[in-house]
Amino acid sequence: MPALIDLIQARALAKTYRLGQVDVAALRGVDVDVGAGEFIAITGPSGSGKSTLMHILGCLDTPTSGSYRLDGEDVSGLSGKRLAQVRNRKVGFVFQTFNLMPRLTVEENVALPLKYRGGVPRGERRTRALRLLERLGLASRVGHRPDELSGGERQRVAIARALVGEPAILMADEPTGNLDSQSGAEVLRTFAELHAAGHTIVLVTHDPTVAARAERVIQMSDGRVV
Amino acid sequence: MDEARRHWGQTVLSLLGLILGTGSIVTVLALFGGQTALTEQFLNEVGGRGTIIVSDRDRSAHPGARELASKRLTFRDAQYLRDRAGALAAVSPGWAQQLPYRVGNTSFDGQVIGTVPDYMAINDIKPLVGRYLSDLDVRQQARVAVLGWKYADSLFGAATRALGQLVSIGGKHYTVVGVLEREEFYFAAWEDNALEYRNERAYIPISTAIAQHSAIDHLDFLTLKARPGVGAGVAQAQVRSLLYARHGVEDFDIRGSGQGAGGEAGQFLLLFNFIFLVVGVVSLITGGIVIANILLASVVERVREFGTRMALGATGGAIFAHVLAEVLVVTVMGGLLGLGLGTALTGVVAHFMQMPAVVSPFIAAVSSVTALSVGLIAGLFPALRAARLSPVEALRYA
Repeated sequence: MPALIDLIQARALAKTYRLGQVDVAALRGVDVDVGAGEFIAITGPSGSGKSTLMHILGCLDTPTSGSYRLDGEDVSGLSGKRLAQVRNRKVGFVFQTFNLMPRLTVEENVALPLKYRGGVPRGERRTRALRLLERLGLASRVGHRPDELSGGERQRVAIARALVGEPAILMADEPTGNLDSQSGAEVLRTFAELHAAGHTIVLVTHDPTVAARAERVIQMSDGRVV
Repeated sequence: MDEARRHWGQTVLSLLGLILGTGSIVTVLALFGGQTALTEQFLNEVGGRGTIIVSDRDRSAHPGARELASKRLTFRDAQYLRDRAGALAAVSPGWAQQLPYRVGNTSFDGQVIGTVPDYMAINDIKPLVGRYLSDLDVRQQARVAVLGWKYADSLFGAATRALGQLVSIGGKHYTVVGVLEREEFYFAAWEDNALEYRNERAYIPISTAIAQHSAIDHLDFLTLKARPGVGAGVAQAQVRSLLYARHGVEDFDIRGSGQGAGGEAGQFLLLFNFIFLVVGVVSLITGGIVIANILLASVVERVREFGTRMALGATGGAIFAHVLAEVLVVTVMGGLLGLGLGTALTGVVAHFMQMPAVVSPFIAAVSSVTALSVGLIAGLFPALRAARLSPVEALRYA
């Protein structure tokens, strides 16, 4: 059962892409509810629409039809600029390929979302980044560049970056896909710890063992929840 | 900006167009500035900017009635301008002819100027020994001459020895009452003395000149001086309308002393500057296109980075500003390197061509602003491209 406070409330989400002359339906009416503090896995084979669903839930994309309320705000019809602000404040992203800025230090990478928020003084950006890095066991890596870190460390830097803005929800797209099993286990343990600390997590994966770590699994197939 | 720091060599290479363009423009402006200063200096040597010369125009092949009726330039014109032209401080009538000079066995044909004392002040002529023509000489039609340095030197062996001697000009004997200072001015090291013509002439009273050598009341030119503070253009316009009213036809030419100054060096430099300017502008445009291309490639290369930044909350505007800031850093670098190159080039050209040229702060500012504008225009399109990416597509981009 969904928790008392609904963070995500999506109804009849549909997304259609136009590929040349043909319309391709990636989502065909999906309802999703996620309560605060839940740890959810969206899973399914490739082409099932799980990435499209995550993009819409993460405000990277807008649905063709349907309604979506994130943290009480209807975001299905927002402009690109407003969506960027919503992403900055409410969503933290973790990617399969880490997507760190190669020329920035670990600390600068982590502080980046606060820079885009605007109005956060440099000193505060720094302390918040350092606090998170410490919490994730990366205090000794603060001044390093991403290419000097191991895969597991990079992904934990990315998690710190996702958390620095204190988002309502953490979204991870195949976060262990590019990691060896040990680093992958480490990252999953981090997610478990964050969940235990009260964070809401939506994890997209095609790996059943990863999905099994979540409280609840949303199984997708052919653009629908099954 | 980190981009630029990383690939120094590549960045400098890609900036070559911008560097060369800026360098060229700096050099042109510096040389041009040096030449302008030189021309100004030349004008001061010959009496300053306010000097105006009215010369008699040759009668046209088929003169009309008005032209035939005109008495052309006369003493009355000079008097009329003295009375009526408020913009003028001095008016001096002039007569000029080529006449044979002879002293003993030395003889040649040369220029003789018939004029009045005012002419000396207007043209900033200084006697080396003796004196210049006086009002009394003009009134008495005295047979006295003031020789230019070169003529005095070649007729008498030494310029100072001419004083008090007799010289035959156009078959009449004149007493030399003064010899002028030698005048020199060089626009460039390889050029002839631009003031040599002032060393190769003699001045005699205009009354004497007309009585002895032409016998009609006709002038060849008027040398005028505008009042201090009156623009040369204003004074020229006034003189033109007054003379036109008297002649009924424009059978005279008016020019300022600055026009035509600079000689061959000026002509050459104009061409030289033009070529450099074209090279500069072409390099800047090419440089701009190259930079735009490189930036575009770097935007494509970094599509995923921009997608990530957007996912973290960067708006299109923030991405736009980010790319433009990178352009700015790169362009400032190019502009500064170009400024350095231009300064060095100016030094080399100035040294080998013996020409004055200085890269002033103004020139530095103009060229920097030019380089910056080219860079910003070049960066605009790539920046817009990056800003308009869709986050999802950018993140998916391999």
